[in-house]
Amino acid sequence: MLSDDQVNEIIIEVESVPSETQSLPSLNQIFLRKSLAKPTFSTVSSVTDIDSVDCQIFRHGIDRRHNQLLRFSSLNESIYPIHRSPGCLSMDTCYPSQETIQGQRLIASLLPMTSRDRIKTIRNQPRTMEEKRKLRKIVDKEKSKQSHGILGATGCAQCLNSLSLAYRRSKSSLSELFNSVSLWQKTLKAIGGKFGTSVLSYFSFLRWLLRFNIFSFVVIFSFIVIPQFTVAEKNTLQFTGLEFLSGAGYFGDTVMYYGFYTNTTIQHGTGASYNMQLAYIFTFGACLVTCFFSLLFSMAKYFRNNFINPHIYSRGITKLVFCWDFTVTHEKAVKLKQKNLSTEIRENLSEILLENARLTFHQQLTRFSAHVAAWLVSTGVAAACSAGVYFLAEYNSEFLKTHRNPGAVLLLPFVVSLINLVVPRFYSMFSLVEKYEMPRHEVYILLIRNILLKISIVGILCYYWLNIVALSGEECWETLIGQDIYRLLLMDFVFSLADSLLGEFLRRLIGMKFITSLGLQEFDIARNVLELIYAQTLTWLGIFFCPLLPFIQMITLFIMFYVKNISLMMNFQPPSKAWRASQMITVFIFLLFFPSFMGVLCTLAITIWRLKPSADCGPFRGLPSFIQSIYSWIDTLSKRSGYLWVVWIYQNLIGSVHFFFILTLIVLIITYLYWQITEGRKIMIRLLHEQIINEGKDKMFLIEKLNKLQDMEKRTNPNAFILETREVEEQNPLHLVEHDASPDLRFRRSVQEVNPRAC
Amino acid sequence: MGSKQTVLTHQQLEEYQDCTFFTRKEIMRLFYRYQDLAPQLVPLDYTSCPDVKVPYELIGTMPELKDNPFRQRIAQVFSQDGDGHMTLDNFLDMFSVMSEMAPRDLKAYYAFKIYDFNDDNYICAWDLEQTVTRLTRGELSAEEVSLVCEKVLDEADSDHDGRLSLEDFQSMILRSPDFLRYEHGEGLTLRPWDGNSRGFTGDRGKRPQCFWPQSPQLSEALGDCFFVN
Repeated sequence: MLSDDQVNEIIIEVESVPSETQSLPSLNQIFLRKSLAKPTFSTVSSVTDIDSVDCQIFRHGIDRRHNQLLRFSSLNESIYPIHRSPGCLSMDTCYPSQETIQGQRLIASLLPMTSRDRIKTIRNQPRTMEEKRKLRKIVDKEKSKQSHGILGATGCAQCLNSLSLAYRRSKSSLSELFNSVSLWQKTLKAIGGKFGTSVLSYFSFLRWLLRFNIFSFVVIFSFIVIPQFTVAEKNTLQFTGLEFLSGAGYFGDTVMYYGFYTNTTIQHGTGASYNMQLAYIFTFGACLVTCFFSLLFSMAKYFRNNFINPHIYSRGITKLVFCWDFTVTHEKAVKLKQKNLSTEIRENLSEILLENARLTFHQQLTRFSAHVAAWLVSTGVAAACSAGVYFLAEYNSEFLKTHRNPGAVLLLPFVVSLINLVVPRFYSMFSLVEKYEMPRHEVYILLIRNILLKISIVGILCYYWLNIVALSGEECWETLIGQDIYRLLLMDFVFSLADSLLGEFLRRLIGMKFITSLGLQEFDIARNVLELIYAQTLTWLGIFFCPLLPFIQMITLFIMFYVKNISLMMNFQPPSKAWRASQMITVFIFLLFFPSFMGVLCTLAITIWRLKPSADCGPFRGLPSFIQSIYSWIDTLSKRSGYLWVVWIYQNLIGSVHFFFILTLIVLIITYLYWQITEGRKIMIRLLHEQIINEGKDKMFLIEKLNKLQDMEKRTNPNAFILETREVEEQNPLHLVEHDASPDLRFRRSVQEVNPRAC
Repeated sequence: MGSKQTVLTHQQLEEYQDCTFFTRKEIMRLFYRYQDLAPQLVPLDYTSCPDVKVPYELIGTMPELKDNPFRQRIAQVFSQDGDGHMTLDNFLDMFSVMSEMAPRDLKAYYAFKIYDFNDDNYICAWDLEQTVTRLTRGELSAEEVSLVCEKVLDEADSDHDGRLSLEDFQSMILRSPDFLRYEHGEGLTLRPWDGNSRGFTGDRGKRPQCFWPQSPQLSEALGDCFFVN
């Protein structure tokens, strides 16, 4: 909310300079304006020669550039631009005094800032390089003059300054180094240049997921796998090639699966001891907690940047006109983009023209029933697929108990991947029957249906694993689950590869040679991103049972990047519709967080708290539950005197209900306060918007008045006209017209005075 | 570094670094790009601040600007006298404002100036017509173009004076977060290099030859192979 002072200042400025429009300060941003001519600001001392220079340059530049002044409010360091329109004040003279005042104010504002802020402000000025350089020089000179005057603090200030300078330089060189090391930077820019930023968002998302997996892998490898290697037992099984696909057999007895890990406390000689149980649980906890916070912060960042004014809905044609993507540099891409833009503008125009056409009741009924039918069918299909998967899994496990066919374990993953391949395309066919008012709705509904399908399949599999496999009394059920997940992931990868390499290639052949009207296909971003999220969900699920899974996912993502890139360049054309890429990315990350990651957390929580570990294998063998390891650790700690604080934290903060109750209450209160602040700001935005409209009306009114006045003067006294207009301009125009000022002007002003105080 | 000192003084580099969003390395690379445009005109030694302007015809051949429908306006807005001929200062200014590090307000300001064809600090209907024509390259009929301009003015002109002022433009930009999102490179961004800093070999005294001039030809060739129209 703006403070009263700020709001009053708006009003004051309205009264004093009414012929100029005011841009009201946005709540979050600073508007900057270009100042007039080159040397527009002078030092405090010398004025005269620069004034004359100003005049000359001003007269020279008057045809092209207008007098735009910088107003600086020392209250909160926001800058109010003032625009003087040419119509009302015909400029024959220049106003060097006002320019230098503005320049002095700018310098005065820059002086008290820290050097970092100062440089940032100078950089953000919309002035030419020469002006900025002069500004910087003047401010530096003033600053050094000032610092000579200050006693005692100079040494400190100077060394702080040089420190901050060194820090800035090192930060910039570090960031440059980081950029040069950043993976795939060149390829991503090539993709962005050719296909636009919406397709680029898929590849950036892939790279972002890769970082997660790299981090998880590094942590797990260093804390769990390496210690295990030091006490590894010999692997007695035989190695056949089929293990890569099935994950069983030889791999069953390696670090890949939970079952291999020891539950002992590793101690080499007289060195430190390493408790494998605790290490296992804490490492995975740390991994997941880091992922959680990283996701949360990314989501919050994107959300904040992309949903600034959700209540103001923009029709979109303005965006189409002003949102040309300047990064597209390839000639053919530019031509294609222009063609697509024209098509979109035409569609938009026809939408606007047809917008008033109301549908008859009969048409509405048909549409509604089509929607209902489509939803019923899609939900039914999803439910049927889940049931099918469940029964197949059960049947498969029965089958495997009796027959020892290593290839049969692949049946379930194959069916799941097949479902994931076929059913989304089946859902896309609904668009033939269902008609939507806006194509955007179609995309969202399709996305929701696909998400429901994937969630139901993963959910039913989790249920099967946790309720059937874990309780079935098998020898090492965690390893079995790990193997299942590994197979699912691998089969998904194989199917994606086949789809990219063969399927898209075939589609291109069909589109180009046989049914040429189809043309090249467009990259379906939503479907591909959902596949990425699905794979990542499986990885996170399986991380506890198969610690090397992030490594496998890393390799998978790496290969997929190159395959998709090549396929993209060969088989696709740039998207024809303007995608709201940044909003879609927010949606993707939200999807990754909410159903995917939270679901994984829930599953793991159930595993750790409810399930009984297997008796013969893994780090938790023999315990009644996984969490028992933590309980017994707390018990041992409570016997040692040095670690009682850990026990206290555990008992009173983590284990106690009251603490969480109080925490929840505090969080709810803070949320409620922020919500109220947001509501207040929305009201303020609306009021300020109304004020802008009123200002515009004021301006038009005053322009008319002034023109009339000038015409009158011209008619009565043509010779003295020039002198008098100068006088008029130099005085405040408002005083002259104030006699005739309509009461509604004053009324409007008083309304503005009342309004901000109302909120 | 030795090579930097003979081209630009330390003080000049510091000034550029403080006035643009670029690091020293990037400034040097941009200088070499500038010099490449007109090797006869632009001296390699800029320590004496020579008054050199590269004409618009050469600027317009840069790969980033060559196919841009607004290249002439971009050059005019950033050039010293509004005629499209750019000094090194203007050149660096242009890339600095259109880089990914520049804030939205700055980009919005310059975008407004680019779309303001008649330089009257308002985007009037004529400016809009020019913009739309350049965007669609003759695909739309004159009627459709004027209809589009009308609709744009309807939507965006908040003080109802028949033309868009900077405030109208900026408030409209604020509404659409897709515009000017420098993080994803959408909107008013130019990328003067493809992120391959390996191109800057750092050989003392030797000018790096390879970091951009080859790539557009390569991508052009690739495009011809794979981009079937």
